[in-house]
Amino acid sequence: MTKAVLKGRRIVEGLCRAEALVSMKPISFLGGVDPQTGIIVEKGSDIYGERVKDKVLCFPHGHGSTVGSYVIYALAKNSAAPAALVNEKADSVIVIGAVMANIPMVDQIDISKIRKGDIVEVDAYNGVVRIL
Amino acid sequence: MHLTREEERIYNGELGWASQICMRILVKLGDLFGAERLIPIDSAHVSGVSYKTLGNAPTDFLKTLAESGEKTRVESTLNPKSFDPEYLGKRLPEKLLQEQREILRAFEKMGFKQSYTCTPYHLQKVRVGAHLAWAESSAVVYANSILGAMTNREGGPSALAAAIIGKTPDYGIHKPENRKPNILVEVDPPIKYGIEYSALGIFLGRILKDKIPIIKGLKELTEDKLKQLGAALASTGMTNMFYYENELREKSGIEKVNVGRKEIENTIEQLTTTQVPKPDLVFIGCPHCSLQEIKKIAKIVRGKKIKQEIELWICTSRFIREKAADHINELEKCGAKVLTDTCAVVTWTEELGIKTIMTNSAKTAYYAPTLNKADTILAPLEECLKTALEK
Repeated sequence: MTKAVLKGRRIVEGLCRAEALVSMKPISFLGGVDPQTGIIVEKGSDIYGERVKDKVLCFPHGHGSTVGSYVIYALAKNSAAPAALVNEKADSVIVIGAVMANIPMVDQIDISKIRKGDIVEVDAYNGVVRIL
Repeated sequence: MHLTREEERIYNGELGWASQICMRILVKLGDLFGAERLIPIDSAHVSGVSYKTLGNAPTDFLKTLAESGEKTRVESTLNPKSFDPEYLGKRLPEKLLQEQREILRAFEKMGFKQSYTCTPYHLQKVRVGAHLAWAESSAVVYANSILGAMTNREGGPSALAAAIIGKTPDYGIHKPENRKPNILVEVDPPIKYGIEYSALGIFLGRILKDKIPIIKGLKELTEDKLKQLGAALASTGMTNMFYYENELREKSGIEKVNVGRKEIENTIEQLTTTQVPKPDLVFIGCPHCSLQEIKKIAKIVRGKKIKQEIELWICTSRFIREKAADHINELEKCGAKVLTDTCAVVTWTEELGIKTIMTNSAKTAYYAPTLNKADTILAPLEECLKTALEK
């Protein structure tokens, strides 16, 4: 059963279904996410200590160094990457990381509608997020 | 975005994984920012070279790209790395040097020039009106404002993709309508010293966000002072370009902001974090010194000696070092370390026991407290040198 359908914009194509992890604060991948484990280590993050691996990671947008794109790639290489990325407003650091790592990505989504632990389906071919 | 047949083939992977991923990066960026096409570039300049700033995450991507055999399609230069071959290369732990060398090997295999400088404009002629894909924010501002070229502020990865493809998406500052000034900055009383230009940049970056200013009230202009202004401007804000000719006509209706003595002085004061005027390191060369700057420094230090307890680093590019050989001799005779390929910000000053850095660069003074965990003293060039020299 679908509880809600959120319509956004396709950034990197793909389809997946997984548990949501939601941060209402911007994420800096360089220095903010451990590239080996995928654990959030950014001080002041509202999901500090959580693991992004295999989650639909929802956050407003990125911030910080452009090296962050490489960190997203490294997460994928280390099998610690999120299953999908959902943003309010995509920025170049996150987009490039998603392209490098081939992670489905959608933006222009009101992430406050998504709760941690929700099972969501990200249809990044059509730019749609379904809360199941 | 409209792609040519050739671009489409690359996008679909017909020419291999490496060029496909680079093309996808450029196309997705173009889509994001509303570009309609890719445009050829004259050159690319990649930041994110120093292992100190990169860490381990990028090594794997860079190596995979390099091993695919993919090569740069245009003149492509690299930002500074974390050590120079002569001095820091002998003082820093071997483990760090090894990690850095691995990154450099990947870049070199892809055909990047071993430039290792933040001032690529010192070693290549840049055409007026040329499209570029440069990372390194200080060089971006310099190219747009002083050289009349056109480049967005690329990140390390997007500049790398542009180097491999030889193109960049046509958006932002590549379009003439996005290069118009939209705020007038009146500096009164006018400023004339390098350190004032530098401080003005820090101050304006904070208030302008990404607006393009016309700046009035700049006296005794030199390219080096404008370089300082631009580097500082890009450190605190997203502005990628400024206008400075005083004869530029005022536009009616344009927003206006005044900058006085107080703003400049306060900014300089804020960039000094210690009351103790005893630096471990005096660092000149952020951005890397031009030939004129090397000459000026050589003239001041001629026949003098550096104090025992202080290091003086003059950082520049290999190209300028070669051109200024005689002057470099004088600098080294006085005990200064003339370092190419690197600078204080992108090397491990903490490993060398450096706790306080004195500099004439507001950009360094802005970044060193976080990136070097050092106290800073911002002062004019002459005062920096005087502090380093014996009486």
